[in-house]
Amino acid sequence: MTRAIFGFLILMIIVIAGSAQAPIAPLPSQNAGDVYICPMDPDVRSNSPGKCARCGMALVAGLPDPVEYHLHLDVTPRPVKPGQPANLTFEIHDPWKDRQVTNFQIVHEKLFHMFVVSQDLQVFLHNHPTLGTDGNFHYEYVFPKSGMYRILGDFYPDGATPQLITKTIFVPGPAPKAVPLARDYSPKDAENMNVELTTDPPQPISGFKTQVYFRVKPAEGLEKYLAAWGHMLAASDDLIDMIHEHPFIADGGPQIQFNVIFPRARTYRVWVQFQRKGVVNTARFDIPVKALGQ
Amino acid sequence: MKSVLFTCVVMIAMCAAAEAHDVITTPVTWDREISRIFYSRCVACHRTDGSAFTLMQYQETFPWRTAIKEEVLERRMPPWGAVKGFGDFRNDQALTPEQLELLTSWSQGGSPEGEEKDLPPKDKLEEMMKDGAWAAPAPQPAHHPGSLAVSGDFKLVKPFKLDGLFPQSVPAGSFQIIAEFPDGRVEPLVWLDDYKEKYAHPFLFRTPLELPAGTVISGIPPGATVLLLPEEKAEAKK
Repeated sequence: MTRAIFGFLILMIIVIAGSAQAPIAPLPSQNAGDVYICPMDPDVRSNSPGKCARCGMALVAGLPDPVEYHLHLDVTPRPVKPGQPANLTFEIHDPWKDRQVTNFQIVHEKLFHMFVVSQDLQVFLHNHPTLGTDGNFHYEYVFPKSGMYRILGDFYPDGATPQLITKTIFVPGPAPKAVPLARDYSPKDAENMNVELTTDPPQPISGFKTQVYFRVKPAEGLEKYLAAWGHMLAASDDLIDMIHEHPFIADGGPQIQFNVIFPRARTYRVWVQFQRKGVVNTARFDIPVKALGQ
Repeated sequence: MKSVLFTCVVMIAMCAAAEAHDVITTPVTWDREISRIFYSRCVACHRTDGSAFTLMQYQETFPWRTAIKEEVLERRMPPWGAVKGFGDFRNDQALTPEQLELLTSWSQGGSPEGEEKDLPPKDKLEEMMKDGAWAAPAPQPAHHPGSLAVSGDFKLVKPFKLDGLFPQSVPAGSFQIIAEFPDGRVEPLVWLDDYKEKYAHPFLFRTPLELPAGTVISGIPPGATVLLLPEEKAEAKK
């Protein structure tokens, strides 16, 4: 019996070591020939043209250099007043000649995605400025209170890479009182569903992948919202990090998985949006992130 | 005896597996994406005869892959020292979210080298290096005629066309500098975050700001000194 166990273990060693040293099947970008990449999900690639399995966008050949475009945000009237309409104008210029850019690709059914987060992390908005005849994107918004707002613009100029650019606006007046964030994984009742959160690892570590799972109840009637099974914005409590993610694994069932690398050991406020029976649900959680060994 | 033997066997197997390979789980490669980021953002210092160890080649970068990920995610590298998206700077050296995502994916996914054919063409390489800080030594704003040294809140008594800011003496930490206009509006100027005096670089606006008389520059901690840099006149630039 002892010999049999020993023999089995030796066999296992050979198998494990052998498999570790065997050549690993190269991913598409390591192969010779053309590579087709999803502009929205850069990790989705293929050796042949087609559509992204995750978001449905057409895969593009090669890889444009990841350069940053210039996003100018103008707000009128000035000064902005809380509780009164303000016109937000987003003007985009190329980084080479600083010329206005007016041609954009549709990303998740829209030309421009805008996220607004207030200084105290109480205000959250995900909406879509529209392209005007002047080539700029426009949106009317009522800032509900004074203080600083971080505004994230997500757009994709033709021939470039998708852009994710943050701007900052101050609405004059007293700054809202800071609300310290603590871990909040409690289930949330959203518009017409309940949303539960778990993470793997249970204690997220900065700089390492965290699998973020949402379980929705009821899942019946779950629909794609803006061409994705869900949308997530994660903002660090100091508003320095703003992360926009889409599900890594989702199939219309009750569990939706996002993979997130939280950059720093801070607490992140996470907003997720899912659509069920035509209704967009927004739920909010707070995820403390620690440093390795902390 | 059996448990000791089993433990030894398992440890040997794990060591053999760990040394054999970093498992590649990312399509991002040095030759394709990462070298382009390094050439435009890192090799101004990390090059032969530069001020820091060289990171020009894959073989030089690979051993540092984990430290690189940590440094960029903590925004300690590149040494810019300001929060992105607060003020708009023509000499911005901070990494974009896309660049951060690529570097993280590459570091976590086994840091593959890729194929030499994907490296940037040589002529493009020089262009990328010029685009970064490679060929752009910081000006010497301390000797800039017309600059205003500001400490604590400061009210302008006459109009000032602000081209940039130079943190001459600032504490460690995170603080926002803003301009409060006489008409009540507030403009973000710069959000310093772990800026170190040794960086010694200015923050130059993409478009100079017209500050009317009565504008208050606020947010500079008492005891710290920040220079307000005026727009250079055309004659001075010649």
